[in-house]
Amino acid sequence: MNDVAATGNELMVTAISRTLQDDDIVFVGVGTSGRAFTLAVGIPLVAARLAQLDHAPGLDIYWGNLLSPDLTDVPEHLTQDAITRWRGAYAPADVGQKVDMLVRGEFDVSFESAAQVDRYGNLNITRIGPADHPKVRLVGCLAQPEHLAFVKRPIIVVDLSSRVFVESVDHVTSFGFGSETRTRESLGYAGGGPTLVVTDHAVFDFTEEGRMRLRSLHPGVSVDDVLSRMSFTPDVADDLVETEPPSAETIRVIREEIDPSGALLRV
Amino acid sequence: MKRKLTSLAEAAAFVSDGDVVALGGSLLRRQPMALARELVRQGRRDLTLLTWASSLATDLLVGAGCVSAWEGIYVGMWWQGAAPSFRRAVEQGRVRTTDYSESFMTARFRAAAMGLPFLPVVPIRGTEMSARDDIRSVVCPYTGDALQTVPAATTDVTVLHAYAGDEYGNIVWPVHRDSDDIDLIMGAASTTLIVSVERVIPHSEVVRRPNLTYIPHTKVTAICEAPFGAYPGSCDTVYDEHEDEIATWTTAGKSEEGFAAYIDRTVRDVPDHAAFLDALGADLLSSLKVGSDE
Repeated sequence: MNDVAATGNELMVTAISRTLQDDDIVFVGVGTSGRAFTLAVGIPLVAARLAQLDHAPGLDIYWGNLLSPDLTDVPEHLTQDAITRWRGAYAPADVGQKVDMLVRGEFDVSFESAAQVDRYGNLNITRIGPADHPKVRLVGCLAQPEHLAFVKRPIIVVDLSSRVFVESVDHVTSFGFGSETRTRESLGYAGGGPTLVVTDHAVFDFTEEGRMRLRSLHPGVSVDDVLSRMSFTPDVADDLVETEPPSAETIRVIREEIDPSGALLRV
Repeated sequence: MKRKLTSLAEAAAFVSDGDVVALGGSLLRRQPMALARELVRQGRRDLTLLTWASSLATDLLVGAGCVSAWEGIYVGMWWQGAAPSFRRAVEQGRVRTTDYSESFMTARFRAAAMGLPFLPVVPIRGTEMSARDDIRSVVCPYTGDALQTVPAATTDVTVLHAYAGDEYGNIVWPVHRDSDDIDLIMGAASTTLIVSVERVIPHSEVVRRPNLTYIPHTKVTAICEAPFGAYPGSCDTVYDEHEDEIATWTTAGKSEEGFAAYIDRTVRDVPDHAAFLDALGADLLSSLKVGSDE
């Protein structure tokens, strides 16, 4: 039973899934394509579904504009019509009503992708380079500023890369823990802020001061491997451990029950 | 009620150079493409676009040189990556961008819909957005709490693509649809509103189910019929996006010359929407259709 090795995606899924709780309302976006889709949509949906099947049957998912989506039959190829026909409990007449739920703090967990993440968990999805002549124009803001402001436990899901993990982001789309002096508390936030950074090599959390801290290494990964993929040196937990791999049964559930077509964890 | 049925060209002519124009739809869905192509043919310049999650319509209008500024939450091609002409124009400083988060942008349209000059919003502090001059603050007169404010989305013209409507401009949605957009609020916030619809239906069909009318005729300035009016994007419950054509678009968009040639071939050298659909052909169009489950 122990000779089934988890993939990197399955390690990320289980690291997230273990933190999800029975009364959580979990928000998942609609994502883009390829690897970005896996990080923003695939891994979060599989993690949330796994939590429902494993230890959190009451957990609720809000996907895009759809509450409690039916995840028993995920189509292999998502065009508009597959999205239109997706079964679910609730889809408000305009998406502003979902945004209201977000601002009122009704979501417990959200998942964040970003082009840049810094030491204090601030995120950038808007531009690289200066405002008037950006080197790279990115997508905008979407609701990510709201996620980091109002969701109780946002989880950042990105691949580890020194281009992404930068000392300070070029544009603060979303405020994480700010900086040493500009804290959430000083700006009037009551709690919140990112709780985990789940990557393809390691998992991080945040210190009480809001600094990113290496918490666990995926099997076979060294501290040096992680540091070589970051443009800043994170805190390292005193009790740094190996990321706990999923059991053979959990791997079976992911592969055979949750994502049999491979649509969610393909890349 | 007054008859408001016009041609696409007549409807598009409500937009003038220099106007602030709200564009509806979200991601690849219900982008007002037939009207956007008409705006390109009419050579509109110096537009400021206000959008939710925009894709094809913004990329086309920017690529055709119609736009000088954009305000909204997102521009991209969803599954198919960046919006190439928008991205290039912003990187070269030719289009000014003002980025809003979803609650702030929603509040801008709600303020306009409520006839208010601004609305307070629950603060999102510490972001680059909140440091801008258009985001200000107000003290709640009841609690003393400090709130942020956003200016109303004041527009000259609002441009939407919709499922169906009657000749008076009652705009109707199907019972089941994809509602992940703010067209409803944009319509309520409009001053001049032009709407293209997949099909014009008899008024007698509308009156049987008035609760499906999401924009009433009193708000609408002009309604025009444009089947496949969101192509190559999708109109949920009617047809899917044409993925190959969007890939052709993004490939052409890799260079300014490439996209100029693409616009010439698909817009400027095509006299109108009917000719555009003829060129695509009935076989292709019927292959994109999806069944309604009403």
